[in-house]
Amino acid sequence: MSDGPDSGRPAFTLVEVPQAPEAPAQDDVAALFSAPVQDGTRRKGDIFRPGPGPMVEFRGVTKTYQGNSRGLDGVSLRIGTGEFVFLVGPSGSGKSTFVRLIIRELRPTEGSVIVGGRDLAELRRGKVPYLRRAIGCVFQDFRLLPDRTAAENVAYALQVTGHKKAEVRRRVPEILSLVGLDGKYDRLPRELSGGEQQRVSIARALVNHPRLLIADEPTGNLDPETSLGIMDLLLRINRTGTTVLVATHDRHTVDRMQMRVIALQEGRVVRDEESSGYHDRTGEVPA
Amino acid sequence: MRIGMFFREALRSIRANAAISVAATVTALIAVFILGAFIPSFMYVRSAVDSQKAKVDVDVYIADTASVAQVNSLRDKLNGLRTDGTVAEVTYVSKEDALRIMRERLRDPSVLDELPSNPLPAKFNVRPTDAENADVIVAAVKDDPALDPTEGIVYPESTADRLLTAAKFVQWAGFALIGILLLAAVLLIGNTIRLSIFARRREVEVMRLVGATNWFIRWPFMIEGVICGLVGAVVAVGMLWGIKVGVVDAWAAGADSALTKTGSAAGTIAFPMLTLVLVGAGALLGAIGSGITLRRFLKV
Repeated sequence: MSDGPDSGRPAFTLVEVPQAPEAPAQDDVAALFSAPVQDGTRRKGDIFRPGPGPMVEFRGVTKTYQGNSRGLDGVSLRIGTGEFVFLVGPSGSGKSTFVRLIIRELRPTEGSVIVGGRDLAELRRGKVPYLRRAIGCVFQDFRLLPDRTAAENVAYALQVTGHKKAEVRRRVPEILSLVGLDGKYDRLPRELSGGEQQRVSIARALVNHPRLLIADEPTGNLDPETSLGIMDLLLRINRTGTTVLVATHDRHTVDRMQMRVIALQEGRVVRDEESSGYHDRTGEVPA
Repeated sequence: MRIGMFFREALRSIRANAAISVAATVTALIAVFILGAFIPSFMYVRSAVDSQKAKVDVDVYIADTASVAQVNSLRDKLNGLRTDGTVAEVTYVSKEDALRIMRERLRDPSVLDELPSNPLPAKFNVRPTDAENADVIVAAVKDDPALDPTEGIVYPESTADRLLTAAKFVQWAGFALIGILLLAAVLLIGNTIRLSIFARRREVEVMRLVGATNWFIRWPFMIEGVICGLVGAVVAVGMLWGIKVGVVDAWAAGADSALTKTGSAAGTIAFPMLTLVLVGAGALLGAIGSGITLRRFLKV
């Protein structure tokens, strides 16, 4: 992107402190997501089936890796449209398997994974890119393209979906400004701090207005304060109607947010509670 | 807009992986250079053999005692072969013509004046459409009553056979070599592109993650391959041009008069045509090389 930091920048910035729950509905995030995402309308190239059903549904999903190690073991659950869900559990409990099944990087050994009303087993290989466009993904290691600036990284996700140049030029600064990266559009990933890189990665995940945002350990490499800012951003995105799934073992964040928590242990769901913390209410570490 | 973007992506990738791009380009250069040196040589040898083949004539001598009817029947036989395609041309050379030709060839034609009569027989000079047909012609007329008993039928049998063997060998060896060269070039370029992709495996992963279709990922790599192939081909053509002007043309100028004297009509591919073929081959090598390699990377 050749845009200077001054062109087309919206006049709002992200406030770093966590917002009160009764934050005004006309949040800047909401302002950007002009298209309502829950009204059942379909966007161009959208492969999700409109309907009131859950965003993600696992039906008896087992994933066995080579050598018989289990990633997931008979998991059945639903994540409703518009929910904010934490997926918690120690390393190796199956969180990453869960995430990779949703974006169809993996296919289940048994059972079915249904995303946006589509059974992923029936999704042709050529359609997988369209599934991924409808899902925003954020990873612990950011997964940015190292030889591209922040703006170019975000622009790439738009170019992939065939957006016009003018559209790219308008939306990229908007979204970067939204995640709090004003004035850093032309920095390469290595010139940004971890938190800033994660913001770029979130901006990239958001720029296509996904129905579902998946974050796999988004704060794993970040200090607590930065983590707070990132989580706040995710929460505000959720308020626009985007379903958000965060896989994490960052207990402070989970405890603070008091959202639905799904706890995995050795590939099984050991706990699934609304408005909960990292540990269950008895204060016990999930066995 | 799409094409422009793919092009920019390709150029970006070439710059970011300069060493690998140079390797691919040099690979293409070597392949195209060898191809470019080989094609004209092959064509020259083939055309030389062909022009020799065209000179395999069959002379059917006619007995002085043959009647007009017999000669006409022989002529009809030969013309019959022409209509079925084995013979290209039948020329009657009368006794007088034969003598005149002999006179022209001799350094001192006055010896012929001593002859009491014309000893040379008349003949049909038969030019087959293909040297291979000489045997058919011989078989068709070898028992004809009009044949001169002493001269009979004369044709350079062993020369014809050897030429035919050589021609076939040159042809098959040539095709086989070109095939092997092209295959080697495709694999080499593919391998180089694979390095380039391997160096950016994570990048491809990210592209897939944000929902890039396989073609969207593939195009820049293909264009990258084509650019490397084209640049390599152009440099190779430049080198070949230098060699042609500096070495081959000089040599041919010296050899030219000798060649024309022996009546060799051997030619080879024109340089502009060769350039076109080679540049096309370079581009194709790049595209196919990267295309094949990408197939393996984009599965899942």
